Amino acid sequence: MSAKELPLFPVTVVGSWPRPRYLLEALRKRQAGQLSFEEFNEVADKAVLEALRYQEEAGVDIVSDGEQRRDNFYSFVVEKLDGVKLMTLADILDVVEDKASFDKILRSLDAPAFAIKNPTVVGKLRPRRPLALDEYLFLRQHTDKPIKIPLPGPYLLARSMWVKGVSDAVYPTQEELAVDLVEILRNELIALRDAGAAFVQFDEPVLTDVVFNVGVKERTFMCASMAATSGDPTRELIFATRLLNSIVEGVDGVKTGVHICRGNWSRKDEVLLKGSYEPLVPTMMGMRVDQLVLEFATPRAGELAVFEHYPRAREIGLGVANPRSDEVESPEFVIGKVKEALRYFAPEQIYLNPDCGFGTFAERPMNPAEIAFEKLRTIARAAEQLRASI
Amino acid sequence: MARILNGVDVEALESSLAVIGAQPEAAHAPKTSRVRWLSGLKFKTLVRNHSFLVDEPAHLAGEDESPNSVEYVLGAYGACLATGFVLNATKRGITIRNLEVSLESTQNNVFTFLGLGSEGHPGFEEIKAKLYVQADADEAAIREIWDHTVKTSPVHNILTRTARISTELDVIP
Repeated sequence: MSAKELPLFPVTVVGSWPRPRYLLEALRKRQAGQLSFEEFNEVADKAVLEALRYQEEAGVDIVSDGEQRRDNFYSFVVEKLDGVKLMTLADILDVVEDKASFDKILRSLDAPAFAIKNPTVVGKLRPRRPLALDEYLFLRQHTDKPIKIPLPGPYLLARSMWVKGVSDAVYPTQEELAVDLVEILRNELIALRDAGAAFVQFDEPVLTDVVFNVGVKERTFMCASMAATSGDPTRELIFATRLLNSIVEGVDGVKTGVHICRGNWSRKDEVLLKGSYEPLVPTMMGMRVDQLVLEFATPRAGELAVFEHYPRAREIGLGVANPRSDEVESPEFVIGKVKEALRYFAPEQIYLNPDCGFGTFAERPMNPAEIAFEKLRTIARAAEQLRASI
Repeated sequence: MARILNGVDVEALESSLAVIGAQPEAAHAPKTSRVRWLSGLKFKTLVRNHSFLVDEPAHLAGEDESPNSVEYVLGAYGACLATGFVLNATKRGITIRNLEVSLESTQNNVFTFLGLGSEGHPGFEEIKAKLYVQADADEAAIREIWDHTVKTSPVHNILTRTARISTELDVIP
């Protein structure tokens, strides 16, 4: 099936899939320098094919490789770019002045500094390998289905990779780092488009951190916001929009999207961010992407009515399954969400996906593969019923 | 060749413990320290051939050049637990990959120290210590070492038992 032959309400994923144990072991060895990039990828090939098989059997129309080669959705760039080092927060604590705010992050996460790894800019960024073209080319050999490639968004990377006291020796400001990030991501988007990728999704989860932690100048850790912000949400949102648009503008022939969620590192709902997308909708509308990939299964995300004043303005990747819960949603739940979305989006603008990945962080999967599979299968069944009813 | 585990020379550790164990008087581990006022709320503490600064944070009129006394106690408690865990795990031949102790404390009423109140006392009200560890052993073994470490930690015992303390004053003309 090509991207042009997609059915109504295509079923897709946000990206990540829980990693099997053997892959986690290989990842640990890779990070300890005991496996080469190539040796690790040989192990990951098998895991990618397993993740693909689950998706195909569940009835997913646009598949991903489950981000099996990545330790998480953004820090994998250390394998792809020169000038980036995977530093643990323990390493960072040794060199930054503002140790107390990092300690605060760790307390809120209930995590040790050695467990938090951050891709930190330590030199001039230069591509060593493609960011994701290798992932795409491997998957392409094994499926006829359209492929979605998630990439870390430029704002996410600028926020996470630039650490004062470490990165400012090379890039005095986040803005200067962002110039290089934009160029790298734009080149990757074009390479993926040229290779035939159907959908490239930019992950920008920290945008919710910007609007829900207004006035908080201190570092937080909403997935990856390692660097301090200006404390001015308007400025941050304009910055994020400008960066993303610099990447996607003028690149036709591939669907682009932005994924924004409220965190996916814990199954404890109370530690994740909460709030409607309302303060972000104008920003989303300023982003020149085709699709907004958003969570709506979790009640923490608020209502779809936030799009009331922007009818049919964009496609939506509608979150209809909570990746963090044990319970598999019913087809009726999915259908109900779609019916609600039909008030603001045309049927052909609605894509169905879980709220987020099932394994955003390799070592903290949100569900086992079996439950993730059931959730996807339910979405696919609901999509079939919806197609039959329209 | 020396057998090194967790960065500790295992044979040297064992022989040191044998030597110390043969000296009953060593059980009391006498220690001395000397604290000298520098200026303001800043002090230099000497212990053996080491010295460290003690200062108060800026909001308590210090220069915040170093931790204050209570923070040293809290940090020392964490370091003591960490030391004990590494020691005990090493003795059992367990490899530790990562270890961190996170601590939180509250004082009963620090206002009594600051002259802002007289209720209660300025000592610790509560201390929470949490060990994060990655080690090549099963959870039951790690838990057993942790429980033993807490029970036998000198600083833990210092904080939970009362020492016989005598204080003196000598005004130098």
